[in-house]
Amino acid sequence: MMMTDDRLHALIAAYGADPAFWPEDERAAAEAHLAADAGRFAAALEEARALDLAFAEADIPDAPSGLAARILAEAPQAARPGASWAGRLGDILFPNGLRWPAGATAAALVMGLTAGVFTAPATADDGYQTASEDLVYGALGYGGFDAYVEEVSG
Amino acid sequence: MAQSALVNRHMPVVWRVAFRMLRDRQEAEDVTQETFLRAWKMLPDWEDRAKFSTWACTVAINLCRDRLKKKKPVLMDELPEQADLALRPEQALTQKQASARIKALVDALPERQKEALTLCAFEGMGNIEAAETLGVSVEALESLLARARRKLRLELAGDSGTGMR
Repeated sequence: MMMTDDRLHALIAAYGADPAFWPEDERAAAEAHLAADAGRFAAALEEARALDLAFAEADIPDAPSGLAARILAEAPQAARPGASWAGRLGDILFPNGLRWPAGATAAALVMGLTAGVFTAPATADDGYQTASEDLVYGALGYGGFDAYVEEVSG
Repeated sequence: MAQSALVNRHMPVVWRVAFRMLRDRQEAEDVTQETFLRAWKMLPDWEDRAKFSTWACTVAINLCRDRLKKKKPVLMDELPEQADLALRPEQALTQKQASARIKALVDALPERQKEALTLCAFEGMGNIEAAETLGVSVEALESLLARARRKLRLELAGDSGTGMR
């Protein structure tokens, strides 16, 4: 959009004097237009700045302590990766379920393998995410868990 | 944990929006909790939905509107202007008083103007996302913001005219 005096006045009237609050796609053009002849907009900027400062005074209390915990208490619990491993292994070895006594030895094998999975040293695979968690990271705008880790780890 | 990241990032914004709309800690807390409760239910079908911040603020604002409908609406035009809100001329306008004054003036704005101002001026939300959150066009959002700011400027100028500043 072509920046005009009218449009810049409209931006100041709607968003205030601080260019950081102006629409991103118009900000550069608006700042250039302002720099070209700041005097024409001085009065509008001064009025808007007074209001911006007043807004800065209008502090509000922080969210109540414990609110995050109460919200998280209602959150769906992600499936434990270890449990699903055991379940999947059991399904593979015993598609029809366990039968005694023939299944006893094999059951011991499953228990041993499961214990091994749980007691193995931590690896990068501990970052495994469930599909639902990946959706949450997507909703956060990260496009998934990997992108989240990339941003958080800098 | 993903849910913690979601709550830590967005809960404070949802809380502030709700508190600014309702001016009641308990009600704002209820709205914040209800918003996330709905989010947890929505998550399995999230793929086609909007950005979480847009969705959460939309839900929170709608919940606030429902609660406000149950109360008697008090708009700025209906208020006895200076009598209740203005400070006495002999009082100095301290920072605390200024804060209370601007909060009272913002509270008294028409609902839609207050919502637009809350999202853009207080929460720094971009114009496109704020318009989407409120379900209006960007032009309509700008009109709401400009009218809100004009009204507040006039009110504050009125303070100056009565010796406030």
